[in-house]
Amino acid sequence: MSALRPLDKLPGLNTATILLVGTEDALLQQLADSMLKADCTSELKVHLARSLPLPCSVNRPRIDLIVFVVNLHSKLSLQSVEESLCHLDAAFFLGKVAFLATGAGRDSHCSIHRNTVVKLAHTYRSPLLFCDLEIEDFRAAMAQRLVRLLQICAGHVPGVSALNLLSLMRGSENPSLEDL
Amino acid sequence: METQSEEQAVTKPADSGGEGGPPQVAGAQAARPEDRMTLLLRLRAQTKQQLLEYKSMVDANEEKTPEQIMQEKQIEAKIEELENEVEEAKTAFEMKKLALDRMQLSTALKKHLEKVDIKTSVLMDNMKQILNLNKLIMKSQQETWDLEEKLLDVRKKRLQLKQASERKLLEIQTEKNKQKDDLDSMENSDKIKAIQQNLETEIQITTVIQHVFQNLILGSKVNWAEDPALKETVLQLEKNLTMI
Repeated sequence: MSALRPLDKLPGLNTATILLVGTEDALLQQLADSMLKADCTSELKVHLARSLPLPCSVNRPRIDLIVFVVNLHSKLSLQSVEESLCHLDAAFFLGKVAFLATGAGRDSHCSIHRNTVVKLAHTYRSPLLFCDLEIEDFRAAMAQRLVRLLQICAGHVPGVSALNLLSLMRGSENPSLEDL
Repeated sequence: METQSEEQAVTKPADSGGEGGPPQVAGAQAARPEDRMTLLLRLRAQTKQQLLEYKSMVDANEEKTPEQIMQEKQIEAKIEELENEVEEAKTAFEMKKLALDRMQLSTALKKHLEKVDIKTSVLMDNMKQILNLNKLIMKSQQETWDLEEKLLDVRKKRLQLKQASERKLLEIQTEKNKQKDDLDSMENSDKIKAIQQNLETEIQITTVIQHVFQNLILGSKVNWAEDPALKETVLQLEKNLTMI
């Protein structure tokens, strides 16, 4: 199965496609719904996947942004994300990948330490977002944010590209991570 | 992997008709021409941006080829170079930070000094003491410099003396050698030898004459001890001429 490559297909007119990867189907579905509710001038397409690689039989549009959703309460989600990462082309990590960690709010339920996810995101030089997807308001805000990111990654925002995004998002990162 | 990949649930919820769709649906079907215009302009900007991205991608891929050809050593050298650059940047940054810190400190101090009474402040006392200490340091440094200069002078003189004595010694040596050579040449010359031979024969002759005289005096049976002048002569004849 071949690795997923960015920019290997022509973009659809005014369409932006996001791929959400995670083991929590319900959360992904809710997030997708929230994203579609968000106000946006581009036509949004949301694909969900439990893990990578994707089957090649399906005809799918160009994928502009991949979000790996890690549930801090389950080790399985982290493991599956880590396995999925191997099936991505390196060019994707030039700003077209983001990590989303959910469940950090309830500390007692966490079976994965937050640092693990931070390190993972840092290893792949990709932005890491924290959000409790179970709470609707937070989910809506995150969906808004993701839609904005997706628009940039899809090239719908003139003057900004995914590469800019990478350096822009780094500012919010913890500076001590540079030493990791 | 295959089983997992089957689980991929591609949802295309409301591809254009869903909640995400309304704007462009409205744009496509709007009766107002301005909406259409804005939509077209936006699409143009989008296409331009996407074209730019593809172009940069192509450029990046083209740039990659020479890098792949490059030898590992070159890459290592380059890495070193870049690391050096990073180090330089770091040091520059540190320097700037230090300068900034100093400036901030000085401004803070200034502000503080403006507020505080000059005569009573501990800071001023400290400053004065520091100034005094600085003066002292400068003075002692000057002294050390002077002393060092003197030491240097003395060393210079010593060196000069040493050189002069060396020269003199060399001269003495050559002079001695010369004398020796002269002596050797004199001893070996024919003239000296002839003179020595002459001297030897003369000495022999004189000894013979002495002996003859002695025997003459003794044979004449004169009491030579009574006459002092004669006595002296006889005694003189006793001298061994080779001992001279």
